[in-house]
Formats: sequence, C-alpha cells, structure tokens
Amino acid sequence: MAGTPIGNHIRRLRFEHGEMTQEALAQACGVTRQTIIALEAGRYAPSLELAFRIARAFGLGVDAVFHWQGDDGA
Amino acid sequence: MKLRPRGFGLILAVAGVALWLLIGGTGRVLGIDVGAFGVALLVTLAWTSLYAVSALPDGDFERQVSPGEWRAWVGVGFMVIALVYFLAKLPLFQGEAFGHAHHASAVGRNLVLLLIAWAVLDRVLSQRWKDRVQSDERDRQIQIRADRSGHTALIVALVTLAVTLGFSPLDRLAWASHFMIANLIVAALMFGWLVEYLTMAWQYWQDRR
Repeated sequence: MAGTPIGNHIRRLRFEHGEMTQEALAQACGVTRQTIIALEAGRYAPSLELAFRIARAFGLGVDAVFHWQGDDGA
Repeated sequence: MKLRPRGFGLILAVAGVALWLLIGGTGRVLGIDVGAFGVALLVTLAWTSLYAVSALPDGDFERQVSPGEWRAWVGVGFMVIALVYFLAKLPLFQGEAFGHAHHASAVGRNLVLLLIAWAVLDRVLSQRWKDRVQSDERDRQIQIRADRSGHTALIVALVTLAVTLGFSPLDRLAWASHFMIANLIVAALMFGWLVEYLTMAWQYWQDRR
C-alpha cells in the first residue's frame, strides 16, 4: 500500500510519554495495535476523529502530532 | 504451549492432505473409504484447531496480526476449501435434477458442515479476543475496498457465464442443464466471496509488511 502524505511523530511521542507501548496507545484510542503500527510506518492516514483521539492521548493538539508532507510543501 | 507459525503450518499441511483425500478419494485402501477418511481427518483437524484457539495462551505470533486479519485469512482458507471442493464435484451434478439430486445433497451437506465449523471458529475467536479492540476505522476501510473487489469479481464471473451461455452453439451446451447453471451461479457467488477475503487479507498483509 502506498505511503500517505500525512506524517506523524507518534513513535517519538510514545517514548517521551514514559515509553508508552503501542498496545497502550491503541487501547487509549479504541483501535487495534496494528493500526498504530500502520500509522507509525506511514502506511495509513487516520480519520480526523482518530487524529484527535491520538493527540488527546498525548495531551497535545493535532498539529503537534501530525504534519503535512505532501508534494506541494503546504 | 502457545500458537506458533510451525504449528499453524502443520495444520495447513494436514488440511491440504484432508482436502485432497476428500476430493480425489473415491476408492478404498486397506478396506478404508479414502473420501470418508478425508472427511474424518478434516473434522478432527477442525476440533483440534478449535481446542487450540480456545485453550492455548496467545503468543507473539498471534499478537502480530490483528483480529480482522486473522478473520480474513480464516475466510480465505474456508472459501478456498469450499470452492475447490464444490468445483471438483461439479461434474457430478450433470444430469441430476432438483428433487433427485443425491450427489448434490451430499455436497450441500458437506458445505453446510463447513459453514457451521466456520461460524463456530469465528465465535470462539471472538471470545478469545474479547479483551481486545476487534475492529476499527482501518478495518472498515479495508472491508469497503474488499467488498468492491468481491462485487467486481462476482460481476465478471456472472458476465462470463452469461456470455458462454448466450454465444455458444446449442450443440456445445449439452452440459448446461438448469440444475448445472444454478450450481454455476452458486460457484460464481463463492468466487466473489473468495476474492473479497483475498483482497482483505492482502491489504492487511501489505499494511504489516
């Protein structure tokens, strides 16, 4: 599956939050661990709702977790 | 003891042998009906698998794969067995009619048994993973794409059947009794479901690679 134009800092943020496991983050957001793995690998772009859930799990805003890395450089 | 790739491979290998005996087994070896032995082997394997998924603790191998992906691969397995078995027995339906279809009844009975085993396995898996999130938005997206592929495959199979029936000379359609056509439509449905499960399993595997 092709990569997505949406990058994220989930892996780094997990380690900065007491080495939170993928399973713990998945449970906090109501998704499977494999979805977190796919997100971290850049193979899956989350819905807006899931993006907010993940950001809230870290106590941050969405733009602190996700960023645009598409061709237009926006 | 945990679920491991080697054990999983062994189950698949025995299932392959059982299916081969079930389809090709028409004679007797040492006084034992080979086809009936194939059925017995498949049933034993199904119960062993059910015991394994209900009793054994989960390991890393199982945790690497999401519940949705497990279900997709289980679906591929069951649909491959059902479709291969059904197509292998299709020539038996030729010349049979509704109400007197003894071979078809036997094949139908085996397919229903397979469906029951599938439903039971799915239920046991749900119980096993009751403390985990079993599906999320990614699973739903994968399901939508797989539905689309299955739908396309079903249309292709039905159009192929319609074109074959519509454009073949009459003398070449001696095999096409109404009963045979009915069974071919069922085979087309099964083909559509197989493509759906294959697409699902492939997408999960791509996400994980």
